[in-house]
Amino acid sequence: MHDNPISSPFEGDVRQHWAAAQLGIWLFLATEVLFFGGLFTSYVAYRLLYSEAFTIAARETELTYGTVNTAILLTSSFAVAVAVKTERSDRVLARRLVLVTVLFGLAFLGVKGIEYSSDLDRNLAPGPGFPLEPAETQIFWALYWLMTGVHALHVTVGIGVMTAVYLLMRAHRVAQNSALLDVSALYWHFVDVIWIFLYPMLYLVGRS
Amino acid sequence: MNSRWRELLWPEAAVWLALVVLLGTTLAAAFIPMRYGTAANLGIAAVKAILVAAFFMHLRRASGLDRLASILGPFWLALLIGLVVADLLAR
Repeated sequence: MHDNPISSPFEGDVRQHWAAAQLGIWLFLATEVLFFGGLFTSYVAYRLLYSEAFTIAARETELTYGTVNTAILLTSSFAVAVAVKTERSDRVLARRLVLVTVLFGLAFLGVKGIEYSSDLDRNLAPGPGFPLEPAETQIFWALYWLMTGVHALHVTVGIGVMTAVYLLMRAHRVAQNSALLDVSALYWHFVDVIWIFLYPMLYLVGRS
Repeated sequence: MNSRWRELLWPEAAVWLALVVLLGTTLAAAFIPMRYGTAANLGIAAVKAILVAAFFMHLRRASGLDRLASILGPFWLALLIGLVVADLLAR
């Protein structure tokens, strides 16, 4: 009966299983929008109040790392989208693409780590020793660390989920009609979409 | 063989290419002094997000209920940001 460790509440009713899984993940992603929404709103508010300071502060972000990371995430979404597509017809290819997605995710975190290290070398964290003027530039940088940090946590969770999906697929423990990969992929795409907005907000301000 | 690759990668490869082109565009636009540069770049970001949502996240063929659920979050956020901005501008 339970050959699938990820047992769904709608065993035997595939249509119901899919409908429930899809609605469930979309509602969960809506709560994630709530989560990030507070930070996005803070950014908008403080940028409106201190636009000059934000422009000065944002020039110090590392555009190359940010752009490379955007390209990495967009490509990882491409990989997992094709994985979902081939899940029925070619399961081996599908799980290999899931592994590719995991590797891209790790690459993103690697670049982020290098970037954080560079930011810290330049003391770009709010607090004593902060190099920029006026003081409101620290607000931008506080938002930078918070928003990219929370996003990186989400990428890490995504990597964990995708790794689990890969291992389960490789062990043939994902049922033929399971929504597991589809649902996990939607989470991954969402994390990509958040970064799609973070990129212009944090890296493209004050460049002209 | 050719048609198999096409079946596999279409439209995802085209969407990815469009996303990369948009990334290049937004990057280049950031260096051009223009009046509504921020709005333009956020507009490009919105187009990228819609491409990911429609094609990669399958919203094009999702049920009406799923599509409704997908806009709940952004709709609420638009209200929040809109009202906060209105408040600040009125001070």
